[in-house]
Amino acid sequence: MSELDDLRAPIDPQQEAEVLVDKGVPTGGEAFETGSQFKLILQTFLENKLAVVGLGLVFAAVIFCFLGPHFYHTNQVTTTYNINLPPGKGHPLGTDQNGYDVLGRLMVGGQSSLEIGFSVAIIATLFGVAWGAVAGFLGGVVDTVMMRIVDAFLAIPTLLLLIYLASVFHPTLKLLIIVIAGVSWLSPARLVRGEALSLRVRDYVKAVRVMGGGSRRIVARHIVPNAIGTIVVNATFQVADAILVMAVLSYLGLGLPPPAANWGGMLSDGVNYVYAGYWWLIYPAGFAIILTVVAFNLIGDAIRDSLEVRLQRR
Amino acid sequence: MVSKKVRRIAAAMASTAAAATLLAACGSGSSSSTATTSSGTTKVSGGTVNFAEGPGATPNYIFPLSSGAYFSVTNLSQFQELMYRPLYWFGQGTTPIINYKLSLANPPVFSNNDKTVTVTLKNYKWSNGAPVDARDVVFWMNMLKANKANWAAYVPGAFPDNVVSYQATGPNTVVFNLNASYNPTWFTYNELSQITPMPMAWDVTAAGQAAPSETSTTAPDLTPTGAQAVYKFLDAQAKDTSTYTTSPIWSVVDGPWKLQSFTSQGKAVFVPNPTYSGPVKPTISKFVELPFTTDSAEFNVLRSGSGLQYGYIPVADLSQKSLLTSSGFTFNPWILFSFNYWVVNFNNPTVGPIIDQAYVRQAIQHLVDQPQWISSFLKGYGVPSYGPVPIVPANSFADQKERNNPYPFSVSAATDLLKSHGWTINANGTDTCSNPGTGANQCGKGIAQGAQLAFNLQYASGVQATAQMMAALKSAGAQAGINISLTSAPFDQVIGNATPCTATQAACKWQMENWGGGWVYAPDYYPTGGELYQTGAGANFGSYSDPKADSLIATTHTAPASQTQSALNAYQDYIVQSLPVIFQPNADYQLSEVSSTLHGVQQNPYGNLLPEEWYFTK
Repeated sequence: MSELDDLRAPIDPQQEAEVLVDKGVPTGGEAFETGSQFKLILQTFLENKLAVVGLGLVFAAVIFCFLGPHFYHTNQVTTTYNINLPPGKGHPLGTDQNGYDVLGRLMVGGQSSLEIGFSVAIIATLFGVAWGAVAGFLGGVVDTVMMRIVDAFLAIPTLLLLIYLASVFHPTLKLLIIVIAGVSWLSPARLVRGEALSLRVRDYVKAVRVMGGGSRRIVARHIVPNAIGTIVVNATFQVADAILVMAVLSYLGLGLPPPAANWGGMLSDGVNYVYAGYWWLIYPAGFAIILTVVAFNLIGDAIRDSLEVRLQRR
Repeated sequence: MVSKKVRRIAAAMASTAAAATLLAACGSGSSSSTATTSSGTTKVSGGTVNFAEGPGATPNYIFPLSSGAYFSVTNLSQFQELMYRPLYWFGQGTTPIINYKLSLANPPVFSNNDKTVTVTLKNYKWSNGAPVDARDVVFWMNMLKANKANWAAYVPGAFPDNVVSYQATGPNTVVFNLNASYNPTWFTYNELSQITPMPMAWDVTAAGQAAPSETSTTAPDLTPTGAQAVYKFLDAQAKDTSTYTTSPIWSVVDGPWKLQSFTSQGKAVFVPNPTYSGPVKPTISKFVELPFTTDSAEFNVLRSGSGLQYGYIPVADLSQKSLLTSSGFTFNPWILFSFNYWVVNFNNPTVGPIIDQAYVRQAIQHLVDQPQWISSFLKGYGVPSYGPVPIVPANSFADQKERNNPYPFSVSAATDLLKSHGWTINANGTDTCSNPGTGANQCGKGIAQGAQLAFNLQYASGVQATAQMMAALKSAGAQAGINISLTSAPFDQVIGNATPCTATQAACKWQMENWGGGWVYAPDYYPTGGELYQTGAGANFGSYSDPKADSLIATTHTAPASQTQSALNAYQDYIVQSLPVIFQPNADYQLSEVSSTLHGVQQNPYGNLLPEEWYFTK
């Protein structure tokens, strides 16, 4: 049979593959249907059961804090003299030292804590990313100056600075967000700056330059998007950290003044009654803080795994 | 805790008081190191007593001539006077009267129709061997005359303005010539009581400078300029807490205790002054004052059973009282001759004109539910303050109006007052002035259309009951449309802010300050309030000024003996009505818990500590 005959013969795919293997020619494996990158990330994220639990906890916290008060009505402004009542009829989690219903206060306090957490994370991440990306991309003197500023701020003990600012200024929700964000942007700035130093010498960045792309375009369209994994993971940790910082400030008596509430402040007030056995002033707020912080940390871990290229190809 | 002269108290509110362990040793004069027996127990010499300072109230000023920012029980009664004794001592056990036995001088002799006062000192010694004599009293007077503006107890027209001349007529005798006849009791209780003799070793203007001799005619204090230079130096030294134990200035003492060590956090360690020449010499070998930021932090240490011999239990932890009793502590509330209030700043450029309106202060006073606060937040360990004269401990000074509340809790009464003076009520919002002017039904002088009824109130942190009261106040205020923004700060910061000021000064930003403990009448032991409410008085922190109040106060100083009480009644009745401050419940100073092995503890009604009377048994 001539070679021409061979070509004319019907081709059996299985047979052809075997032939190619026999000839030492590389072949493709089993074909899979592939989706978008987002779908892949989501799939990886959802494979992490702890992440799903964390996501569920955050979702539950948001529902509890923001929708809960619409179904469970309490007066969290006017104090009463029904103070430190144990859990019972009318007050499922008792009342606190000012006569506020603890369950309702958990909801209202959670609003402040979550608002601070999310707001600080957004502000600190946006500012820190911009700062770090610019410093890392431009390099040289600009980088040196910008990062020494970051180093200088990092050298100041955070808690001391927060205590000072909180004592000088009248604490409000907005002010505390700004103050906490003011000390929280340093971490993402350093992280993104490190990423930018690495990314700015990549071929595709050089290609953009060759094609006339400006620095602003490179930073916005190439540096930051390629550092998105680091940024997003850090942002989730920022949420948890901000809630904890707020709790610490409240514990030190420098949080939001009454009648405003937050979980840290509730815990701080409750600790005064630890020997009196008023557990309902301590455990609910404590658990709320722990669960929320853990939830955000689980989410952060999962996002990191999802954005990790090697794990996506497993 | 507070200081002397009109001192400010930090409410530990937790308290102590070693109940029944009142000591018989007081006045024994024994400094023997040998054991004696008392009530079937063996008295031993030596041992260390750890005493808990009030929450956030730490000593930070050692010089006895204190300004308002340092005029506290913590600084005066429980720190300075352990080392530097005042001319006259007050408090016999728990009774609020003068104690000549522990005083540096014999009873004053009044003559010349009560216009001349002769004081004779006893034979006390400074730790450097010099006598505590008439020259030391003259030194104090010279310093006071030249620096009265820096003295918290200064009352214009009163001490030292009413002293025309003073001179040492002998080694131990000082004669004061007054510009008018004064009530002997008032002059002794409120003016001579202010004097703390100072050693000549302090009569210097720079470190290392040689002190002048008592007979020197060129001593710095002999001229006003020189006395001001001495004050400037000593004030700077007193603010430098790091040098308290190393300074040759402060090491010269005439009290029973010397400062061995001191930290900037407020831990003070005292050891007996071996040359103390008073009647009661220390038995214990060390007295330690320990700082705490909150009452709960203090209670943690107290409950551990090993850190404190003299502490206090917070109201929130009263359920633990029996546990402490079983651990060997004795519970005894410490009640001072004091009353409680928070100050409002009449000179604040923003809210001063509003605070200046009596009806506004009355409206705010209507929001203070004193009986309920005492019941709910103090668990009954307190009494109402309706006026400037304490109703406990039992005394003859308070009249009936001090016992009846002229402004009972009523939100509607508060809103009625405001509405009748041109304010538009905005419950759960902020009231606004809608009828400006000076008419009877208008907002008042200096209040513009649309002005808001909003105040900032800073209170001392660390005491749960104070925080509860302020939260309740804010809540009640919101119902009346009086918007009170609360912040908290350590006690020392609060009293540092609450100083008299003028509207143009940066320091006049404060609007309301509540250090939680009010005022104990010491060293102004006769409760005429001149230091608190007379125009220009050093402790008139809110700069209240009312000609009628000034007149009534002046009358209490000069009234003949037959009219003493009626003058005092007229004064206190007017203050109850006019409200120069906002009155609030007066909690027991502290709910003391004293180790049962520590004896001799009698809780002085003016807040003084007398650890030289304490001893351990075995």
